[in-house]
Amino acid sequence: MPVADTFIGGDVGDAPPEPLEDEGRRLTTSLSTSCLAVLIAIVLGGLIMLMSGENPLTAYTAMVDGAFGSKFALGETLSRAAPLAIVGYGTAVALRAGLITIGAQGQVVAGAIGALVTAQFFESAPSAVAIPAAALGGALFGMAWVLIPALLRAHFSVNEILSTLLFTEFAALLIEYLLNNPLKPPTAITPQSDPYPDNGILGLVIDGTRFHVGVFVAVAIGLLFVWWVRSDRGFSYDLYGENPNLAQSLGISGNRVIVNSLLISGATAGLVGWIQAAGLLQRVYVEIASDIGFFGLVVAFLGGATPGGVLVAALLFGALQSGGLAMQSSEGIPASLSDIIQALLLLGFSIRYAPQIIRLTRGVMANFTLIGKRRK
Amino acid sequence: MTSEPGADPATGTPLSVRGVSRRFGSVQALANVDFTLESGEIHALVGENGAGKSTLAKIVAGSIRSDSGSMSLFGQPYRPTSRREGAAAGVAHVRQQLSLVRGLTVAQNLQLGRPGAPAFFNAASARAEVERWSDEFSLSVPAETLVDDMPLAVRQQAEILIAVAWGARLLILDEPSSALGPLETKALIALCHRLRSEGTPILYISHRLPELAELADRLTVLRAGRVVVEGADVRAADLREVATLMIGDVSLLEVNRPEIEQGTTRLTVTDLSVSSTQEIGCHGLNFEVAGGEILGVVGIAGNGQDSLAKALTGQVKLASGHVLVDGEDISGSARQAIAAGVAHLHEDRSTGLAAAFSVADNATARHVRSGRFTRFGVRLADKIARHAGELVERFQVRPPEPAARASSLSGGNQQKLMAARELEKNPTVLVAHGPTKGLDPEAAKAMRDRCFASAQAGGAVVVISADLDEVSDLAHRVVVLYRGRVTDAFPIEEMTSERLGAAMAGLTETMGDASG
Repeated sequence: MPVADTFIGGDVGDAPPEPLEDEGRRLTTSLSTSCLAVLIAIVLGGLIMLMSGENPLTAYTAMVDGAFGSKFALGETLSRAAPLAIVGYGTAVALRAGLITIGAQGQVVAGAIGALVTAQFFESAPSAVAIPAAALGGALFGMAWVLIPALLRAHFSVNEILSTLLFTEFAALLIEYLLNNPLKPPTAITPQSDPYPDNGILGLVIDGTRFHVGVFVAVAIGLLFVWWVRSDRGFSYDLYGENPNLAQSLGISGNRVIVNSLLISGATAGLVGWIQAAGLLQRVYVEIASDIGFFGLVVAFLGGATPGGVLVAALLFGALQSGGLAMQSSEGIPASLSDIIQALLLLGFSIRYAPQIIRLTRGVMANFTLIGKRRK
Repeated sequence: MTSEPGADPATGTPLSVRGVSRRFGSVQALANVDFTLESGEIHALVGENGAGKSTLAKIVAGSIRSDSGSMSLFGQPYRPTSRREGAAAGVAHVRQQLSLVRGLTVAQNLQLGRPGAPAFFNAASARAEVERWSDEFSLSVPAETLVDDMPLAVRQQAEILIAVAWGARLLILDEPSSALGPLETKALIALCHRLRSEGTPILYISHRLPELAELADRLTVLRAGRVVVEGADVRAADLREVATLMIGDVSLLEVNRPEIEQGTTRLTVTDLSVSSTQEIGCHGLNFEVAGGEILGVVGIAGNGQDSLAKALTGQVKLASGHVLVDGEDISGSARQAIAAGVAHLHEDRSTGLAAAFSVADNATARHVRSGRFTRFGVRLADKIARHAGELVERFQVRPPEPAARASSLSGGNQQKLMAARELEKNPTVLVAHGPTKGLDPEAAKAMRDRCFASAQAGGAVVVISADLDEVSDLAHRVVVLYRGRVTDAFPIEEMTSERLGAAMAGLTETMGDASG
């Protein structure tokens, strides 16, 4: 008979009940875990630089300089941090409610499509109408993209990690189709849309930088998130995340928490799609989301799903990205070293989630085995 | 252990336990237990919750050690220091919570952790082995289905099968039938008889007496860690007497119960049925509780208590029936139940509190979404802390620190914190599920007083408990649950060990109606 429990220990029979587990279900990371992850990533990154013959000190100095050293650098860092923060705040709402959505990437894509289509509809309207309309269009498309996973999770307990990931794949396929067919201008060779309508373009705030209006959107969303964390509704969602049984016994509807928190995360990701399309690229491409959706999740996790934490984490990743590019151009050190540090960061703090990851993997494997069985 | 080697000469007796004791903190789980398992027998070990059955099983299996006493296994001195050592000596312990790895197949589980298993998994031979054993015992245990996808009864068969395949010479089955239906129990009994005829003695732990008559050869009764009956012949035994012996003397009037004046009916339960995938559920319950009255719901754990507690507090959809509080139907709506003044002391503090949240957030959680303590939807931390401070003072939570984490409190204070949240206002109905479970005497008294106070203030109180002392201390009237049905109901004055024991062990005819 399997004896696994002896290895784990703790088999103490009728012993008196133990005090409550502290961090049983909580998905949010603690400050110390995050700081440790950052520290480990920087040290390991330095070692890798040493091994590849670069001086880590030079590299890190160049990175910091390239991220914060000038007006341009700062603008670059902020413009990269803003979408990460927006996605991070939305994801954090779900995370606090005990839901791990990893579909932001697809929701950004859907939001970009939604914003473009809405903007094209309001092409001849004044900007004061067209801009908010496109923002709303982006948010609604982002929400629509998470609606089915949310309903499946609420009513059929379908794992939201898997379903949201699947919908990211759908979004990638959809945008490829749209940009090759209906949305593609006849003259274009590569898959892309018409230019974003002029009356909906978000201007740059400071000339000579890429500091765009999206940064202000990030600030506004950040303030909303601060309100959410302190609100009674937010508290009830947090309570559900901490102890679903208790929340339900206090009359909080679990289904509503699940659907609403996922919709909120979808809306914020959709807004990012709008910012990407209307602000930075002013056209929709297949790669419109770059990796914002995925890094936004990392930002939410690393920031412990708290307002300040997400902000700091977004700035860190924004700085790593802009600093990495600057390092490459100033010192000739490959920017991919910055990517390595970002990946190490991800690995470092994902250890905190090892049990969840294992459970997820097991779930996936089980599903595959089932599919295999049916095919026979 | 203080055994002398060779205390039991090589008689070949499968298992002999002499003078085994074990203490957990202040609880003497086993006291000087003697027990013998003869070859070719199924020996039932019966007793109430907490009688020490599982502790004894774990000592025999090697998962825990005894404080004193000695054991011998097939004539050899036997001192296992781990479950692995016990398994290597041929003792297999199939527990209530099965220990198969749920994400693996039966064939994979067979090889996992097997003594002397090769380093690499040979899928074909493992599958063949499972199939061979499955045929041998006329079972249909699938070799390559994930454990997660198998019904509980088959999982259990798989675990027994794996134990035998690993070369078990002695099998301990701990509450194997508690989650099985009647047909599945029959299959299990057949399997046990089959194993016995192949020469594997079985130690069978249960508190379901009716099935033991069919299954076992001899029985031993444990009560509060002591052997009351050793190795009686099951066929000759009077099961009613055994049930009485299990329970012992039911002690009444130990607690000073306040005089409580009873009012009109506040809680009415009609034709209540709950179907549950996790436990037995409830089937056709009918009862009423008046204001000022304390109803005790007794029964061995897992006989529908959880479903009943959830039904009374609006937390589950009912398969049929109604729960009325002061005439208002609160069935299936926790929100309505709270609005109607229903309070719930959860059985398990881990479901009853938000452990990582502060004492203040926990104490005031019942007000969530009520608009109290908020302005523009924002929670007013000062107001919450102040109100929580008063509650914590009133309910004597120590330390009275609203900012502390709930998880930092002791068990008794966590229970008081839960009471502070639920009993801030006098409840119309209080559902107290094991309110003094695991508490020290002082904290237990405080919780009993809370229940009395709720009744004195005119509330209807339902105490659901597997602990008979808890119920006899509190209740005016008792209903007994067995397999989700009421098997008996009587005023506390009529409570006798015989009557209670028979009803709890399922020896009484199911009653259709148990209103008092």
